[in-house]
Amino acid sequence: MIANDSDYQHALPDEAFAASLAGFDRMTVNRLNVLLAHLSPPHAFAVAAGHEQPRGLVRQLFDIEGLGAAWRQSALRRPPEIVYEQCLSAGVTVLIRGHDGFPLPVLNDPAPAAVLFVRGDLARISGRRVGIIGTRNATSSGRDTAMMLGRDLAALGVHVVSGLARGVDGCAHRGALSVANGAAPLAVVASGLDVVYPREHAALWQQVAEQGALISEGPPGTVPEAYRFPLRNRILAGFSEVLVVVESRSSGGSLITVNEARDRGILVMAVPGALRNRASEGTNALLGDGCPIVLNVDDVLIGLGLDSRRAGGVAYDPRPRPSAADTELLDALNEPRTLDHLVLVTGQSLVDCAMGLARLEADGWVQQVNGWFEATADSALHGFRSPT
Amino acid sequence: MLAAILSATLLGVEGHCVTVEVHVANGLPSFTIVGLPDEVCREARDRVRAAVLSSGYPWPSKKVTVNLAPSSQRKVGSGLDLAIAVGVLVADEFIAADAVADFGFIAELGLDGSLRAVAGTAPMVAALGRVQPVVATASRHEAEIISERRVFVGRTLRDVVEALKGEAAWPTPAADTVPDDVITLPDLCDVRGQPLARQALEVAAAGGHHVLFVGPPGSGKTMLAQRMPGLLPPLTPQVSLVTTMVHSAAGLRLPPGGLVSRAPFRSPHHTSSIVALVGGGTAALRPGEISLAHGGILFLDELGEFSPAVLDGLRQPLEEGVVRIARARASATLPAQFLLVAATNPCPCGGGAPGSCECDDGAKSRYLRRLSGPLLDRFDLRVPVHRPGVDELVAGGLSESSAEVAVRVARARQFAFERNGTLNASIPGALLDALAPLEARAQKLLRTELENDRLTGRGYHRVRRVARTLADLEPEHHDTVLEQHVVMALQFRVRLSPLLRGRAA
Repeated sequence: MIANDSDYQHALPDEAFAASLAGFDRMTVNRLNVLLAHLSPPHAFAVAAGHEQPRGLVRQLFDIEGLGAAWRQSALRRPPEIVYEQCLSAGVTVLIRGHDGFPLPVLNDPAPAAVLFVRGDLARISGRRVGIIGTRNATSSGRDTAMMLGRDLAALGVHVVSGLARGVDGCAHRGALSVANGAAPLAVVASGLDVVYPREHAALWQQVAEQGALISEGPPGTVPEAYRFPLRNRILAGFSEVLVVVESRSSGGSLITVNEARDRGILVMAVPGALRNRASEGTNALLGDGCPIVLNVDDVLIGLGLDSRRAGGVAYDPRPRPSAADTELLDALNEPRTLDHLVLVTGQSLVDCAMGLARLEADGWVQQVNGWFEATADSALHGFRSPT
Repeated sequence: MLAAILSATLLGVEGHCVTVEVHVANGLPSFTIVGLPDEVCREARDRVRAAVLSSGYPWPSKKVTVNLAPSSQRKVGSGLDLAIAVGVLVADEFIAADAVADFGFIAELGLDGSLRAVAGTAPMVAALGRVQPVVATASRHEAEIISERRVFVGRTLRDVVEALKGEAAWPTPAADTVPDDVITLPDLCDVRGQPLARQALEVAAAGGHHVLFVGPPGSGKTMLAQRMPGLLPPLTPQVSLVTTMVHSAAGLRLPPGGLVSRAPFRSPHHTSSIVALVGGGTAALRPGEISLAHGGILFLDELGEFSPAVLDGLRQPLEEGVVRIARARASATLPAQFLLVAATNPCPCGGGAPGSCECDDGAKSRYLRRLSGPLLDRFDLRVPVHRPGVDELVAGGLSESSAEVAVRVARARQFAFERNGTLNASIPGALLDALAPLEARAQKLLRTELENDRLTGRGYHRVRRVARTLADLEPEHHDTVLEQHVVMALQFRVRLSPLLRGRAA
């Protein structure tokens, strides 16, 4: 190590030292905040690496048993120039709290991040922001709702903030990305920005990075350990002006985010679900606690203090009107039904039912999953269903 | 003295003629068997000696050597016991050599001298060709359906020896009083509701299409599958004979009368090994479940729980109708033309109405990945099955019975054979336009499905074959396939969870 060399210190930007410090063993948000609040990043690194003596408030940190030794080890393993090189090659920018470019929504957070890592461009996130979160084990109706909200909000120019997790999170982003020229999505993740988690969302990560921005508190290479998710949730909450919970079980990460949002005075809204649906237990309880209800995108806009009356909507339904016999079938689809049920309910023959459903499906009135037929609420949603 | 007695051994489902040569000569008393006997066959030594002595015949206190010719081929099982015993008695000059010249002997011996049936009697008797078989009483029917000559039976070694020596007549077994075909098959009229699944069974039976039932536990997948044999016509004489050979070779109990005339129904458990399913295992290359299902139905319940290797092992037989088993010492080609009926849950928790599934995406996609790919592609019919509602369970009177459906099935099969020479499921893709011409609207519908990427090229052909069968099943038989047939055929291709599609994209 040549950290004592003053030329060397000036050759590297502050961000390199901050990025290195953020990945130290036993580094916590608070400790990093203390270090960077009192010392410049190169100085803070030198102190943490043991090259300089800590003074003042910072010295108290080193009273903690073994911390100094752990950090000295970490400093050897994480030379700033290499860590910075990693960031650059992963296309990651480093933002230090108090320096230029640190995002305003989380600048004065009660538990602020000291360093943030960004992929994509935060400048794209310039308008109103709504967080859409929910369980990873979402039902297909929950997924559709998340997708619909994401799409409609993005189309109306509202940025969708979410966590890129399985289930609701991913769907909200998919919805937002499905709109041409929609508002850019913002994703707050728990792992390093080069560590895709969950892996099946690799393509989605890439798309969010290209069209919006990805934010993480961990430097590149950070693995998604369980304790990082609640920390991530507080940043996600911080970035939201309104937080919409689409589906949540009676406990789970979504409710942690809800608590973080409440601590910050952020409006929490919830989508109602069926009584016996486990995935809606949490959201229904939120509604019982007095959360405003979200039935469509207008409710979210009202939460933001906006309205969409002047926004151009779908002027007419382009789907051909079903015939009288098919309307009977469509009316019977007030709940998801199977072909067998429909035969019994409508009294039509198997072939007639199948023919009618085929016509309705072709025209976008009905969709089929696993042999269950559901009426599509919205003609535009029809386009989302990926083909077989 | 030397004796040569005819017998046979089994490999796969074929018998092979074996000459049992016995040499009795002066020397230290001993009894050895050479000529590649397997473990069971080598133990014949002790059985044969005990049986001869307990029947009251002398055992030569000389050096006895038994050679099983051809000596390069492995001999399996206990079917050579009787031949060895007779051989020893002939070589010891207790029986005249020319008395046994026109006989072949296939039976196991008990220590008390009783004759026992052995697995594979039918193919072994077939291998004997133009000599008169001597078998245990229990094997009589099995031997009679295949033998060109009169079949002789004995209850004990003493019966056989006395008959050969001319001291007594061959025993005549009492005629069986068991009437043929007493087995009652499960009937389709027990199934309430489920019109789609019922129709799928009918189509599968009529066209020979493989079926996959997809549905939550308790939706009646197994119940439906068990009703399939009742819909199939009796086996043709050729198939019946082959199936009988396979069942005999596997040591299965044959129906009274000996001939397997109804389509067999085999349902191996999902823990079955690949050898149990495909065949092999013993030195005789015992036929596996897929061969036992020849001409009938192989039912795989909980398809997703079978090991992927086992399922992959099914692909070649499904394609070719035979399974070729090769081992270091032997190889055999076994018949395996079966109708595959499988059942699976849509996801690990069982699924149900949309929104009721509790599986996370990972578990679900792991589960479905086992089913995906080439095997799933082999099913012409992928039928969603649902738990019947209360209304369906209590509504209406009795449903249509198997017999009524079987009439339509038989007629449709006849149409298909007259037109194609095969069942509809095996119409080659190139001949579909000639054999299953589409009405214009049907053509348009399939075109849209293809354009929307909801059908693959292979799926397109499968839908057309199924539609052909649907047209054949209608009372007013159609030469061209109509739109309604294609629509129904498309209903039989349930789309398994959007997850799999997302992954492929």
